[in-house]
Amino acid sequence: MSEYGLRVGTVEVRSAGPIGFGPAGILFMADNVAAKVFAVDVADPGPDAGSEPFDLENVDAHIASVLGCEVDDLVIKDMAVHPRSHNVYLSVQRGRGDAGQAVLVRIDHLDGTVADVPLAGVPVAQVSIADAPGTDDERFDVILPQGDEGDEIQVGDRTIRVLRQPIRTSTVTDMAYVDGALLVAGLSNEEFSSKLRRIPFPFADAVADNNLEIYHVSHGKWETAAPIRTFVPYDGGRCILASYTCTPVVHFDLADLTPGTKTVGRTVAELGAMNQPLDMVSFVQDEKEHLLVANTSHGLIKIACADIDCQAPLTAPTEPIGAPRETEDLQGITRLANLNGAYVLALQADSDGQHLRSLKTASL
Amino acid sequence: MTAVSWSRCGDEDCIRIEGIAPGADIRVHAGAPVAMDGLPGTAGRLLRDGDGECFAPRFAFIAGTTYTVVVDGATAGVLVRPAQEHPATTEVLAVYPTETTVPRNLLRCYVRFSAPMSEGYAADHVRLVDHGGEIMVGALLAGDHELWDATRRRLTILFDPGRIKRGLVPHRQAGYPLQVGVSFRLVVDPGFRDALGTPLRTGAERSYQVNDDERRHVNPGRWTLTIPRGDTNEALEIAFERPLDHGLLGRCLHVVGPDGRPVAGTVEIGTGERSWRFAPRNGWAHGSHHVVVDPVLEDLAGNSVSRVFDRDLARLEDRPVNAPPPTLTFSPH
Repeated sequence: MSEYGLRVGTVEVRSAGPIGFGPAGILFMADNVAAKVFAVDVADPGPDAGSEPFDLENVDAHIASVLGCEVDDLVIKDMAVHPRSHNVYLSVQRGRGDAGQAVLVRIDHLDGTVADVPLAGVPVAQVSIADAPGTDDERFDVILPQGDEGDEIQVGDRTIRVLRQPIRTSTVTDMAYVDGALLVAGLSNEEFSSKLRRIPFPFADAVADNNLEIYHVSHGKWETAAPIRTFVPYDGGRCILASYTCTPVVHFDLADLTPGTKTVGRTVAELGAMNQPLDMVSFVQDEKEHLLVANTSHGLIKIACADIDCQAPLTAPTEPIGAPRETEDLQGITRLANLNGAYVLALQADSDGQHLRSLKTASL
Repeated sequence: MTAVSWSRCGDEDCIRIEGIAPGADIRVHAGAPVAMDGLPGTAGRLLRDGDGECFAPRFAFIAGTTYTVVVDGATAGVLVRPAQEHPATTEVLAVYPTETTVPRNLLRCYVRFSAPMSEGYAADHVRLVDHGGEIMVGALLAGDHELWDATRRRLTILFDPGRIKRGLVPHRQAGYPLQVGVSFRLVVDPGFRDALGTPLRTGAERSYQVNDDERRHVNPGRWTLTIPRGDTNEALEIAFERPLDHGLLGRCLHVVGPDGRPVAGTVEIGTGERSWRFAPRNGWAHGSHHVVVDPVLEDLAGNSVSRVFDRDLARLEDRPVNAPPPTLTFSPH
């Protein structure tokens, strides 16, 4: 793993966040509290897998049981499938507040056994995703009207309390590895921006200012920025389909993105009111690539990539809106991952709990 | 007779099991006996301790959680990890904006707490309530990502941007979350838990009136400066023509001295986020100073110096501004 800059150490992960596999079975783990992304060699022990389905009912209860907590004290943050062994990795938060702990869980897809993945003494690299000013930057003192945060300082004849800790953070909402770089979508807790960060991998000491700004246009009249909630590379990584928090689904070519310049993506669909995108995955059916979009309000949405490529930009309100899509009657799906060519793995919630269920790609 | 109890084994918390036959199969489950059918046992190690066995969990026991010990397939004991009671002392220090009249396309609020908080409570314990007391369902951005600062004391609340932006399907289907002339309240109820798992000492709320939309660039050229006297550490004061975003005001304005270096000092954000005061730590130097404005600085509706939130492509005056950060020049008297 040294060719990727990984060195044996401890993954000092403070909070569970999005995960995704990169080259050579390296798992990227975003930590939104520590403002870092870790690249971890998970040393998956499984044999090369075939194309079998994998299902596990009440996966949340299984994980909670192994981790020694109630289901209510467990939050599954993200899911990824190891590209070779097809073992399932889940990023989970066990407990809340000060007692909370981030755990990486591996589920053996052959027998369904659950175990936590060791994060100490493993090959790891990390990159900071914080872009806030340093804590020693005096320009950022802010007087606090109340409370005991910060430090007391003397200004003239007054003693005042100031906060020097930068309070801007960027929460990673999704990430994907494409052709030597980790693409990271994030949601700022302050400015409303639509930046997609491109972090070269292996990680360098300093992340170059490599932000890609993608705007979208609504009905040819209004142009706007918005944070990307989830995205998926397709067509061999040449294209990206991204879904914004304000629900447009936008296509752009990765080659068109130049750091420091604004790109306007092509809106190909909208998800509608009271709906939020949750996850996307690409899969092949009848030798044609398709995308699945999990969302909070409707069933799983399926869109053919060919339809995306020929969809003219949405310029007028019409129904149905945008690229043709089929809505599968599959409710409650929160995460998606490619299990193998024959199946997509879904994390699906219902009144009984959360379940891992394989969706046959030929039947979607 | 099998007995189970909380104990310590070396430096570790454990469950001690006594009165069992050698080689017995011991499993520990989180939860009551009724809930553990078919589930794997809790990860941990069994350590021989005198005439008993100690179960040391892989992950620490959680306060308030029930643990069931099963020996050879039968429930041998049920223990509840003592909950640590903390007095409820955490409270809401402020809700921003403090300005009482907001534009209909208000984008963002902040809630500042007096202590670090737990994640996972915002969706159920922060809400908007209309003038009739009804919860305004769908007004705030839903989702599983809570936006906290690094200390977990400031929570950012976003209105659903799809309902604010013109032309989008959510806007056409559901309309603005707010209505001009109709008041609403942002309510934080006491069930919100701090990082120790304790509810708030008391809830908090802030009421707002709603005015027309705001869709213009933030324009530093329209700000008014009150220039301090030289050789003092009197504050420079800037009055804005409209309220700006509290979070961004904390970091988007910098004062640069005649030597081209940042001036160290303290910032105070005025009532209603309508002004900003900067007092130099070491007094003002002679000569020309500049206030440098980071173009990401936004107003309450997400309009920044560089762009209008959802710009009308037909309005040339709303075009994005790609100029260098604007500066305001002043010389202390």
